[in-house]
Amino acid sequence: MTEPSDIAVMHEVGDRAIAWLHRNQDGFRPRQDDSTSDFEVKDRLKPIGELALIGKVLFREGVAGSRQAALTRQLLDTAWRDHLDGGKVLTWMQQQEPLSPIPFEIYVPFHELGYEEPAFEATLRSVHTLESWSAMETPPVRRLGISAFERRFGLPRSITTEAATAATWLGRRPEPWTVEMNVGYAVTHTVFHLTDWGENPGGLPDDLAEYLAQWLPAWVDDWLDIGHWDLLGELLVVDACLPEPALDPVAWRAFAEARTEDGAMPAQRGPLPEGRREDVFDALYHPTLVAAFASVLATSRAMGDLRAPAGSGAA
Amino acid sequence: MKQLSGAVHDLASELVSALRGGDHSVAGTTGSLGGDEALTVAAVRTLGADVLLPSTLLSRPAPEPDVAVCRAAVHAYPPGPQSSPTVAWSHWAMERALARVTAPPHAPSPADALGIAATTGPPDAAGTTDAGPDVTALREASWQALTHQLSVLAALAVPGADSAVATEAARRPVDVSRGFVRAVRRRDWLQAAGAGRWLAVVDGVPPTLGLDAGLRFTLRMGGADARVALHVHAALLMRANDTRPAAARRGGGA
Repeated sequence: MTEPSDIAVMHEVGDRAIAWLHRNQDGFRPRQDDSTSDFEVKDRLKPIGELALIGKVLFREGVAGSRQAALTRQLLDTAWRDHLDGGKVLTWMQQQEPLSPIPFEIYVPFHELGYEEPAFEATLRSVHTLESWSAMETPPVRRLGISAFERRFGLPRSITTEAATAATWLGRRPEPWTVEMNVGYAVTHTVFHLTDWGENPGGLPDDLAEYLAQWLPAWVDDWLDIGHWDLLGELLVVDACLPEPALDPVAWRAFAEARTEDGAMPAQRGPLPEGRREDVFDALYHPTLVAAFASVLATSRAMGDLRAPAGSGAA
Repeated sequence: MKQLSGAVHDLASELVSALRGGDHSVAGTTGSLGGDEALTVAAVRTLGADVLLPSTLLSRPAPEPDVAVCRAAVHAYPPGPQSSPTVAWSHWAMERALARVTAPPHAPSPADALGIAATTGPPDAAGTTDAGPDVTALREASWQALTHQLSVLAALAVPGADSAVATEAARRPVDVSRGFVRAVRRRDWLQAAGAGRWLAVVDGVPPTLGLDAGLRFTLRMGGADARVALHVHAALLMRANDTRPAAARRGGGA
């Protein structure tokens, strides 16, 4: 049982993070001015995709509170209407790189939130029938992600969830003492895709849930000790997706204390990024989004456990 | 201190050699350390019950010189009232090991061999009874602290161990497994080797830990430290000699 004071710590992390993201939302703009190259524009679509995926979860989870929900809705609205020009920026990239999964991955969460760009969808459905779409060479966790987005969007699957999962690092449940940072991120994203970014914790197969329940505490301890808040935040998201989350108060308190004064989450322990506003944003937006994500899911789970009648187990 | 760590290293290397089936002469493992008796006794006290490990694991009689120097170490470094539970347990384990290797065959109560009361007797200066020193701190420790303490007390991880420390280890196999992961990630090979040795003697280690591979990895990466090699070889030997049904043996992994 998580104590109410621990829930308050978790909740405040997200509250402050969402407020920071809202104050700094201009940083998500892909084309800052006319000097921004096309390459850079495409590169800057990734943060918008992450904002959409996580923002959707923030918006859906009722625990965020009405102020957070309103800020999140404004963030997503601005991202779609302004930063993506109502989806036209995605269509523009699709014209240049029809087989890139990037615009598709960004489109899916916006589409689920009710935004639409018919021209983009028509081209997507056409390109998706190509053998080349399924044959595209990608790391296994990315392939699992594409498969998950196909499922979410209602497209025929280029690979089953089972086959895609089996090819990932986590799917093979390897020796847990070999986890390094890149493996850590592969593990967290495998869980994100299998659970639709925390929306459907039941999507995590039982054997993987058991494996994570056994070894996640050791990894949380490790990245807490290293002070790598970005990966720690993602591991705390994974925890909140487990059938019986640990919601470790020690880790959460340290995570909360790592925040900057204005509510952003630095990527790791050490000097805070400084310099040009855009560079500071680039260094902070991802760990701050992750902090909001972890906060909302963990708060939701803790509140669910509080609400659950005694003896009924985790909600 | 450097002299002592050198002597400990030499003694641990000799023990590894004995465990691996190397020459184990009647002069015993401690016979090769040279003439400085005080240094030898101190090194023996540092490694504790493990000085008699070849006899314990290979079911061989203990060479008399080894037994004698162990007795000397037990008498030279008795735990006092201020001693930590770790020191008290290490002392207890040496007495136990001496009792075991000097007991006549089929003796019902090997504890008598050293004049130790077979049942719970009056506590000595360290508050120790035959049941062993206090384990309250160990019982209440986080998995991180539990693993650290157990690894320091890895000499107690022997087949059929019936100490209260072994009971705590057996009660928390997943916690010690997490501690093993933590130790390997931190490149703390001595702690990893000690934790891995405990995992070799308890049930319930998750198979996905990959204990055998983890022990070999620890030996490869940290085996230059003879104390690491000693714990790993002890663990591998105990797993190889484990005659329980396969279903009861856990933690093999890939």
